[in-house]
Amino acid sequence: MTDARKPSEAKLTEAEAIERAKQGDAEAFEFLYNLHKRRVYSLCLRMTTNTAEAEDLTQEAFLQLFRKIGTFRGESAFSTWLHRMAVNVVLMRLRKKGLPIVPLEDTIETEEETPKKELGAEDISLAGSIDRLQLQRSIDALPPGYRSIFVLHDIEGYEHNEIADMVGCSIGNSKSQLHKARMKLRELLKTSRAEKAGKP
Amino acid sequence: MTCAEFQRVLPDGIDEGWSAQQKSHLGSCSACSSLVEDLNAISREARLLRACAEPSPRVWDSIADSIQEIESELDLVAAEARALQASEEPSPRVWNAIASAIQEMDSELELIASEARALQASDDPSVRVWNSLEIALRKEGLIRQPRSEHSVIPFMKRWRWAWMVPVTAAVLIAVGFLNRTQPSVRIADVTPPKPPAAVQPLSSPEDQQVLEAVSRRAPALRATYEDNLRSVNAYIQDAEESVKSNPNDEQAEQYLMDAYEQRAMVYEMALDRALP
Repeated sequence: MTDARKPSEAKLTEAEAIERAKQGDAEAFEFLYNLHKRRVYSLCLRMTTNTAEAEDLTQEAFLQLFRKIGTFRGESAFSTWLHRMAVNVVLMRLRKKGLPIVPLEDTIETEEETPKKELGAEDISLAGSIDRLQLQRSIDALPPGYRSIFVLHDIEGYEHNEIADMVGCSIGNSKSQLHKARMKLRELLKTSRAEKAGKP
Repeated sequence: MTCAEFQRVLPDGIDEGWSAQQKSHLGSCSACSSLVEDLNAISREARLLRACAEPSPRVWDSIADSIQEIESELDLVAAEARALQASEEPSPRVWNAIASAIQEMDSELELIASEARALQASDDPSVRVWNSLEIALRKEGLIRQPRSEHSVIPFMKRWRWAWMVPVTAAVLIAVGFLNRTQPSVRIADVTPPKPPAAVQPLSSPEDQQVLEAVSRRAPALRATYEDNLRSVNAYIQDAEESVKSNPNDEQAEQYLMDAYEQRAMVYEMALDRALP
């Protein structure tokens, strides 16, 4: 087994690697891992907010990939197939842990989630000045249910119907959760900015 | 449009686009337009977070270890399979066991085959089956008992002519004998008269018809024919009773058929003689 940190299969294409991996070629596995590891790991990390767990899930997702690669027929892009598999691995883990994938209070509008009319208050606009690190921290601070929907839609780019299918909720529910997640993030980011501005 | 109304349509509008009315509100309301800008910015920045994290080298190390473990397990299985395939011939004990198993199976198969043959031979249904079947067929009128009430000519047509030869001969001999002995010896003297109670009347219209025909043409033979018909009818009656009491008795059926045939022949001879 070669070192995955130093990809040496520069001339290998993804399609070739897939075919070779189906035959059990270890180098092809490694090539595919290097090609997709960042996306899979990032997904796992965003969904769990825990590096150890994200690593564990990344490993599990790739092992599942290598076990099932023989069934890949090329009807969809390999990356789509792999990421869907990774999402399922993560969602399965969240379910096992009993974490809500969709918030139980999804139909209840709390005061906190309802957009406030900030009459008379100084409006701190976020547009164009969102700190990526702060955004990451804010996403991590989201409740697990909101976070799942936000990560799947705004980061991973899944459509609401796909999310509804994977998570097991309605499309309307997915839309509603996403909006609430964005509103919550805005609030967290503004709070963070205000705290930062208040510091000497 | 108020801010509250706008915020109600915000979740759909932000991804799917705004109507003219919503655009107009956005143009005039700084709070709502700021909100929309923030949400768009969050969404835009979030996309940049995709695949920005690098997993630790530990991840691949673990995956590589797992793959190696799986591969070595598979190698072991393959090696064992090859070893089994390439192993030497089994010991004589194994062969003996296989041979005895085959022999046992063979004798069992033979036993099964013989049992199957026995089953084939015992395939006749119980008598009750035919009884029920016959009753049903009779009820439906598909099986009919031969009836003596039929008219003479159609009835006679049912019987084969071959039977007539010996009976005709016997009757002719009897008639000849009676004709020769009639002047000196009376039949009544030779044959003791039967008691009236024992003599069965010839109630059948066919019998009467035949006897009248005989009387017209050969009155001397009427008594003989009457006697013959009486005995044939008695025979038929016995046979019918026998069939009724045991419907499956083929021999009784055959007796009944013979009796009917005898009566038919007597009719035929009588009429043949009576014809001009």
